[in-house]
Amino acid sequence: MRKAIGIILICAALILPFVFFDVLPAIGDPASAPNSHVSDYYIEHTESIANSPNMVTAVIVDFRAFDTLLETTVMFLAGVCVMIILAGVFKTDKRIIEPRSKKMKKHKKGEPVFRGINKDVTITVLQPIILVYAIYVLFHGEVSLGGGFQAGALIGTVLLLDAMAIPDKRNFPDITKGTSAMVAGIGTFIYALAGILTLVGGGFFLEYEKFPWSVAAAEQHSIGILMVEIGVTLGVAGTIVTIMNAILEKVKFDK
Amino acid sequence: MTKNLPILIVLLPLIAAQLCLLLSKIHRHVGRWIVITAVSASLVMSVIQLLEVIDKGPVHYYFGNYKAPIGIEFSIDTVNAMILILICILGLLTCLFSNEFNQVSDETIIGGMNTVMCLLITGLLGMTSTGDVFNLYVFLEITSLSAYCLIAMGGNKGVVAAYRYMLVGTIAATLYLLGVAVLYANTGTLNMADMSEILNDGEYDDAMLLAMVLFVASFGIKMALFPFHGWQPAAYTHADTSARPLIAGAMGKIPAYAMFRYLFCVYGTDFKYFDYFLKVLGVLSVCAMLYGSIRAIGQKDMRKLLAYSSVAQIGYISLGFAIGTPVALAGAFLHMFGHAFMKAGLFFCVGAIVYRYGKFSLDDVGRIYKKMPLTCGLLVIAALSMVGIPPAVGFFSKWYLGLAAAKQADWIYLAVLVVSSLLNAVYFFRLIEQFFINEDRNLSQIKERGRIEASAWILIPVVVCFVAILALGLCNVKIVNILLMTLGEVGLC
Repeated sequence: MRKAIGIILICAALILPFVFFDVLPAIGDPASAPNSHVSDYYIEHTESIANSPNMVTAVIVDFRAFDTLLETTVMFLAGVCVMIILAGVFKTDKRIIEPRSKKMKKHKKGEPVFRGINKDVTITVLQPIILVYAIYVLFHGEVSLGGGFQAGALIGTVLLLDAMAIPDKRNFPDITKGTSAMVAGIGTFIYALAGILTLVGGGFFLEYEKFPWSVAAAEQHSIGILMVEIGVTLGVAGTIVTIMNAILEKVKFDK
Repeated sequence: MTKNLPILIVLLPLIAAQLCLLLSKIHRHVGRWIVITAVSASLVMSVIQLLEVIDKGPVHYYFGNYKAPIGIEFSIDTVNAMILILICILGLLTCLFSNEFNQVSDETIIGGMNTVMCLLITGLLGMTSTGDVFNLYVFLEITSLSAYCLIAMGGNKGVVAAYRYMLVGTIAATLYLLGVAVLYANTGTLNMADMSEILNDGEYDDAMLLAMVLFVASFGIKMALFPFHGWQPAAYTHADTSARPLIAGAMGKIPAYAMFRYLFCVYGTDFKYFDYFLKVLGVLSVCAMLYGSIRAIGQKDMRKLLAYSSVAQIGYISLGFAIGTPVALAGAFLHMFGHAFMKAGLFFCVGAIVYRYGKFSLDDVGRIYKKMPLTCGLLVIAALSMVGIPPAVGFFSKWYLGLAAAKQADWIYLAVLVVSSLLNAVYFFRLIEQFFINEDRNLSQIKERGRIEASAWILIPVVVCFVAILALGLCNVKIVNILLMTLGEVGLC
């Protein structure tokens, strides 16, 4: 009963204000403040200033690049947190998680259940394709959909597939969690380095036109965006591998 | 070079954190020293920045040279320039203090701890300097995540406390984001100064009311104001010993500053429901001051006693906001500085005792002053300052608060201020009694090093806090004058 009252109160408090107060503009209203105040500037100047046909990329890594630096740092921080909490606090034995089907069939312990010719072959075929796609997404992010976060997630997926599908047979060298966290740190540092270089060139932080080498202003922006995307890719991929390794140290899957 | 000061103060700890793990591979202490170097460089620069702000007025820094509201802005006035110095000092002391703890051999874990600590400092610095509402959210995220981690590192109970804090803190972050969404839907801007202009020009009372309710709830949770404080005692108690002074000293104060910024700088005194919000804040802070003090009296664990005392002391800060005049605001900020050093100092003392004897309970520390005279000296000064005895800073901040309350004829606030101070006296004299008068417990050392006191890395923070409490008290007029340069324009007249 007490719980029900609490839940009802929370729902009421969250929903009723939006029912009684008419504070939000109509969806898709072109005259509303969010669609007119600063959006016009972004739409008009993306091509000319940021030299990127993709407006989302231009806003994320050029006009508001500092926010994205911090978002990447949040990812890196999350990886480090998982790593040191799992490594430092719990002193439990390794737990074995068994799929229910395995318990039913009473397989011998240590013998993987899902092994088959298909998995062995398909993973090996899939990995390079995903990697190529990741690199495509990374370099094409400036022009169309995609970007650093997605590319990092794809690279992370490849390593994750490698470690989890067939634990005995690794196609990639084993990366320890310390190394991968370090790579994530270096990735976010590459992002920050783009800012430091602009400071060295005498500009403001992340003012791409002030890179200390002389090429056309539009190209400076492209170089800046590319540098940022590479940094984000490394950061995200490193974080995913860190979290995976930290968890795999504590748990064994079907083996 | 000076034009880049605002970003460099935040950037150096950020870079140190990013490279800490890499450098820890070389040797496990290199990363730590990089962090310490970066934070001390930030400290020097923030002092230079304060002098510049006093000299030339508020500083605005535009990222990528996109003028607000297009890009992101850092705006520094005298108040947050001083808070930046406070965070840098506390961060530096905590880093030095943590030298003696966590002597595990794994360089990844040591590097990770230093990374997280450094990112906590970065997040606090960024939250203080930013002038952009979404940028504030991102820094809030960094601060909370690193705090969850540092609390969880404190052992098995720490993990539970961190989990509770994480659930509540995530709700707080969501509420903040909802509030920002409401304001953004009406103004179309994320820049605080720009938003303030638009809000004051048009008729947005309903939206502002809804957003402010969400902000008070969200920052109330983050700063552990009275009805939202549930996560705080357990989190402060079970946090990692080496990080606890920073968490208790600085982490609760910065959301309070953010709340001040929304209420007074973005909304301003012309806001239709301004007085109602001050009343609500006043009621909450009065409850906090009484509740925190009364709960603190009953505690047996030193850490828990200090944690509940923090609930009460946060009430003083929000009481200053609730009175709302420039003098009251100055008192609130003076209390913020003072309390940061007092609480951090007390937790440094607790840390020193834990380091030597591994005891937390009040009953176990009888006549410990013979073994740790300097630590107990600071403990007495900090405790007296908390109660409000003149040469220490606690008296002056309460004096300014009381003065402002009397001038506004808020007699209830004044009465509660006095009663709460007396309750402070009750539990702090209990603490002092245990340390000086009760029978000797014949404690046995768990670490061999250090005959009389703990080692130098622990004593340096203790002594610095000791000096800071007295110095803040003696220079209070000067500090309040610097604060009033900004606060004179925003408070109620």
